[in-house]
Amino acid sequence: MTQAGLSEGHAPATSRRLGGPVIDGLRDLRDLFRLLGRTLSLISHGKREKGAIVEQMYFIGNRSLVFMCITMGFIGAIITFQSAVQSQRLLPDLTMLGATFIKLLVRDMAASLGAMPLATRVGAGIAAEIGSMVVTDQVDALRMCAADPVDYLVVPRFIAATLMGTAVLIIAGAVSIVSGMLIANGMFDVNFHTYLNFSMVTLGDVALGVTKMIAFCAAIAIISAQRGLATFGGSEGVGTATTRAVVGSSFAIIVLNFFISGLGYFFVPS
Amino acid sequence: MIRIQDLSVAFRSPVLDGVSLHAPAASILALVGPGASGKSVLLKSVAGLLRPDRGEVFVNDVALGDRDEAGLAEVRKGIGMLFQNYALFDYLTVGENIAFPLRRLFDLPEEEIQERVTERLVRVSLPGFEERIPRSLSGGQKKRVGIARATVARAPILLYDDPTAGLDPVTSQKIYDLIKGEQREQQSCVMVISSDVAGILSIADRVAMLHQGRIAFDGTAEEARTSQDPLVRQFIHGLLEGPL
Repeated sequence: MTQAGLSEGHAPATSRRLGGPVIDGLRDLRDLFRLLGRTLSLISHGKREKGAIVEQMYFIGNRSLVFMCITMGFIGAIITFQSAVQSQRLLPDLTMLGATFIKLLVRDMAASLGAMPLATRVGAGIAAEIGSMVVTDQVDALRMCAADPVDYLVVPRFIAATLMGTAVLIIAGAVSIVSGMLIANGMFDVNFHTYLNFSMVTLGDVALGVTKMIAFCAAIAIISAQRGLATFGGSEGVGTATTRAVVGSSFAIIVLNFFISGLGYFFVPS
Repeated sequence: MIRIQDLSVAFRSPVLDGVSLHAPAASILALVGPGASGKSVLLKSVAGLLRPDRGEVFVNDVALGDRDEAGLAEVRKGIGMLFQNYALFDYLTVGENIAFPLRRLFDLPEEEIQERVTERLVRVSLPGFEERIPRSLSGGQKKRVGIARATVARAPILLYDDPTAGLDPVTSQKIYDLIKGEQREQQSCVMVISSDVAGILSIADRVAMLHQGRIAFDGTAEEARTSQDPLVRQFIHGLLEGPL
């Protein structure tokens, strides 16, 4: 009886403990899709400030290009080095080193590996900007002036992050090819011409890679904006929103990659 | 005219609990009360920025509860608001901040917008500040720019959230004079929150005191000064002894 009583007494508390985060997560997901829906509908008939998108594109591109090129440069060098070392153990022939790396990069890694650091840079920036506007009542001031915060703040960032983020990922991907080529040449004597072998890359690979880039960048923008708009409290709240934006964006990139890669497996076989 | 009926708002715990209040047209209603008594929440509810859990706010006999965001935006065209921490857009210049409501709410020619911005800046004693950016201003100057932005659209209802917080007595008095002067000229309905009781009583027609989310007093400024209610007496006169 005591045991039954105990378990009865503990069950609601336990389910509350477990259920709370699940309910919060579902609520976040609902808010996220609502925001995405409103953003997409406002893209066509919103009342944006002149030059807002271009300004955001400049900020997003300017803020992340060098960082992304350096990061992806190192990633390209590391992957090429590790691939070459492992390949040499099986077969002392590195003529296809560049070809396989470039195919993998175009089909997946430029998007998935690049989107992670991009989320820390662009996502954190969007969440912090919007979050600090929320806690300083600037978002309420916008509403007082009949400026819809989604139209005024989210839509330009969404469009800019999707377009510019994709462009930055493509450029950073190219940098990682160059860095891989330099490592292959410097450490394994693979000449530049042999390394720069695009023969394995198909149009489908390019389409799949670009689709992932667009999807990841859009996810980063919308998740970060939603976290920013949901900021509560003072500077601590902005910090929390920024962290949640990066964590949420990273998680979304992985999940989206799983599904897009799955679709790619059936429709764009490698 | 603003009418608040049985308004209740809760964020985890209750903030406003059955507040009913009336702010007549062409008058200044001062909202006073200890910290965290729900004053700012009440003001934001009047502006339609917060949805109450219960009760209703009527702005010029229009119930806000029935309205969606687009409908609320229509009502807000008739409301100007100064936020507690200015809420100036830090990426815009002072001139652009003041012009912002005019550009968003009305379809005015650019010359008229510039004229009204210049006139507002003269009115708040900041002539020639159009090109300055908000972070280069002092607290008092930011408040005055906030007042200029709140009043530039000549809205019949004005809400001021602690316009003199953190300001020296001289600047505070200038701001009170400005609020009073504007109100008399425009014959607007004004609600002002202030923690500076003596200052706000000098310009208010009516005073409402909030305590723990409820109205503890509602009357004229003179009635507030002479009230024998221990709670009101202690707060208005800043006494150490009392129920607070």
